[in-house]
Amino acid sequence: MVFFAAMPAWAHIGNKDVFEQVTVGPYTLFITIRTPTVIPGVATIEVRSSGAPIDSLTITPLLLTGEASKHPPTPDGMKRSKDDPQFFTGSLWLMGTGSWQIRFGIDGVAGKEVTSVPVAAAATSILKMQRPMGLMLGALGVLLVLGLVGITAAAVRESRLSPGVAPDEGRRKRALIAGTVALVLACFAVYWGGRWWNVEAADYAADMHKNSELKPTLEGDRLDLRLGDPDTEAPGGWLEVKNSDMLLDHGHLMHLYAIREPEMDAVFHLHPEAAGTRGLAMTLPEMPAGTYKLYGDVVFLNGFPETETAEVTIPEGLSKASLGAEDAEALPAGLSKGDLGAVYQLPDGYSMVWDKPASITANTPYAFRFTMLDANGKPAGDMQPYLGMAGHAAFVKTDWTTFAHTHPEGSAAMPAMMLADVSTNGANAMEGMDMGEAVKPVVEFPYGFPAAGRYRVFVQMKHGGTVETGVFDAEVK
Amino acid sequence: MSTAANHPPLFASSGTVTHVKSQSVGVPWYLWVGVLSVSSATLGGAWDVSWHRSIGRDSFWTPAHMAIYACGVLAGVIGLWLVARATLGRDEEMRANSVSVFGLRAPLGVFLAGWGGVAMLTSAPFDNWWHNAYGLDVKIVSPPHTLLILGIRVIGVGILFLILAAMNRAQEAGAANYKRLQWMFLYIGGLMVGGQMFFLQEFTDDVVLHRAPAYISMAIGLPILFALFWQASRFRWAATVTASVYMLCIIAEILILPLFPAQPKLGPVFYPVTHFVPAKFPILIVVPALALDLFWQRVKAWKLWQIALVSGVIFTVVLVAVEWPFANFLMSHASQNRFFGTMYFDYNSRPQGYDRLRLFFHPQYGSELVKGLGVAVVCAMASTWVGLAFGRWMRGVQR
Repeated sequence: MVFFAAMPAWAHIGNKDVFEQVTVGPYTLFITIRTPTVIPGVATIEVRSSGAPIDSLTITPLLLTGEASKHPPTPDGMKRSKDDPQFFTGSLWLMGTGSWQIRFGIDGVAGKEVTSVPVAAAATSILKMQRPMGLMLGALGVLLVLGLVGITAAAVRESRLSPGVAPDEGRRKRALIAGTVALVLACFAVYWGGRWWNVEAADYAADMHKNSELKPTLEGDRLDLRLGDPDTEAPGGWLEVKNSDMLLDHGHLMHLYAIREPEMDAVFHLHPEAAGTRGLAMTLPEMPAGTYKLYGDVVFLNGFPETETAEVTIPEGLSKASLGAEDAEALPAGLSKGDLGAVYQLPDGYSMVWDKPASITANTPYAFRFTMLDANGKPAGDMQPYLGMAGHAAFVKTDWTTFAHTHPEGSAAMPAMMLADVSTNGANAMEGMDMGEAVKPVVEFPYGFPAAGRYRVFVQMKHGGTVETGVFDAEVK
Repeated sequence: MSTAANHPPLFASSGTVTHVKSQSVGVPWYLWVGVLSVSSATLGGAWDVSWHRSIGRDSFWTPAHMAIYACGVLAGVIGLWLVARATLGRDEEMRANSVSVFGLRAPLGVFLAGWGGVAMLTSAPFDNWWHNAYGLDVKIVSPPHTLLILGIRVIGVGILFLILAAMNRAQEAGAANYKRLQWMFLYIGGLMVGGQMFFLQEFTDDVVLHRAPAYISMAIGLPILFALFWQASRFRWAATVTASVYMLCIIAEILILPLFPAQPKLGPVFYPVTHFVPAKFPILIVVPALALDLFWQRVKAWKLWQIALVSGVIFTVVLVAVEWPFANFLMSHASQNRFFGTMYFDYNSRPQGYDRLRLFFHPQYGSELVKGLGVAVVCAMASTWVGLAFGRWMRGVQR
């Protein structure tokens, strides 16, 4: 009844870009980092400043951990927009696959500040050659082959003749033979070059990032999750990931979303825990029967985040257990019932409201705002942090190709943010987040939808000991 | 071996020999421009590699790239000028000194240089697409780079042939400019040896000099050039001179480049670079080259295959005998100075890498090494034979 499916992506399935809202000192930056799909490649960076005025911004690429995190290259200045002085753009080369950070140097009215945003870089695509380019290169290639033939023939026919002497018949014949030999050799060179190209392309394809595989098994109401990769050294072998190779994210090794297919009418945000040195496990709560898509967010020691995917089929009446204290669920109307609207009624009389933009376009950064209202329709006064944050949101495309689990600070994984934290030098990476200040009933999630289409949005906030899940729909153009 | 009398069939031209009257004392301007063009590519190539090792990020418009493009532009200018003169037929002497390719007339070297120019042109969009598809190259030997390097080097061969034809005509006519043309030929030959070592640098890095593949690669790539230049230039120290040009260029690079500041503009930075990083100290190829010159001067009456067999052994044995202990020196503290320059590292040179630790990469010993060096000897023999035979053919090139 249980099987798994691998998808070609890494963290936030189908979402390569990073959206972060960072406050450092008096400065507030809304940062969008568009990562390249080939590595080495160029990341483009956009920053909107909304805090204290900024005179200049610099960007520097660094690895998140290890020796290279100590030697920043020369910073690059970001370009201020002429039309909008609060908007800055820039680009940086990411030279290798791995867990990077972009360091921002801010200089403004309140002096200098530094902040960093983690970026996971991995090759995810291979470009096909466009037809006009192929034709042009083909024509030049033919010219080179014919040129080689003509030059070889001329060399044999005339080059050794004294000036002004015409070639005789014997030389002409030898030139013909030499030209033919040159043609054969040139064709062989082209063939060999093509094979070399294929080898390089295959090497590149082999180096493209592949997420670890997630293998779920059900034993009664216990869900076992094993995480691992095919062993490249031993065909057919499988290397299981050690739990000590992963970082705790808000106190958990994995944040697991289970969403019922095909209607997205049941969603669970669960937290399986370590079962020994390898593998995770949990007792499942009561769930409507059906096949669920699993999205498991993990972060590796170097700060590289991945969303592992699988499927699991839950039979009728599998479990009667209640939901864990930090887990969440929602049973919204199915996708086929139409748009859920901007207000989602919660089971205990509270409601969640989305300040939904009139229209949403793909690849545009937004700060999506959600408000929790009490039973009287007033902003809720009993808000509490949920997993150390004012809220968590998951943006899922209805064709299941896109999944992003984000926070009010943005879409980067929280342990990676802590590794990148300049003030602590990553010292807090293993701890959960401390919410010193009171939690407001309004939460904003920086995010940009990666492609047009229909999405379902799951938002979790906590009040009075209850974790609530609001569900919304978005049609992205 | 080196005289026409020893190999009459190869040196006889068919048809009637017509001496074209004008054998000027000077050297035509376009040959100087050709020499400048090849020098420019050499300078640009060395500068560009250093740029990538020190700064990392570049653009179309870096001075190093400009120097490389200048090679194509200068070769294009003289090529078009010569094709126009020879094809349109206003210049009888030029027409007489030309060959015909698909209806166009020009000296053979012009067509070779033109072919190299087209290869360079083709490589530019190809390389750009390659970066978009597979990311920026982190290695020199990729298909589009190979096409570019091939293009640049064929331009060099074209210029070499332009000089060769003029030099051969001058030699036959006893013209006063013969010596000057011979030195130009040897200079371009030296730059070509440098080009060969440039292409082999990933196989001849100092940390792999205690492995046979380094010597096999040089055995394939070097004797062919030494033999070819020795034959074609008619100069008894041709191998020594061309090897010296390569070594002097690299030593000059080590002395000059680190004078100029440069900072990495790309991460990850594993080594804080502050100035341009020069090439590694050159391989001591001048010693086997000198040995070959001395040997070849003494065996002019031998058959080519006999010369090639012994040359393969001499080249490999002398090269290994000199470079193997020298590599030990390069790994030592004693070489970490401004002249030998083994303390310069790329910005992305990892702290635990063989280069930074100054350790030999998987050194070979015993039968594995002997077998590898045996392969090198055979390669050097074949390489020498090809060079001698082609060089002898080149002596007859008139156009």
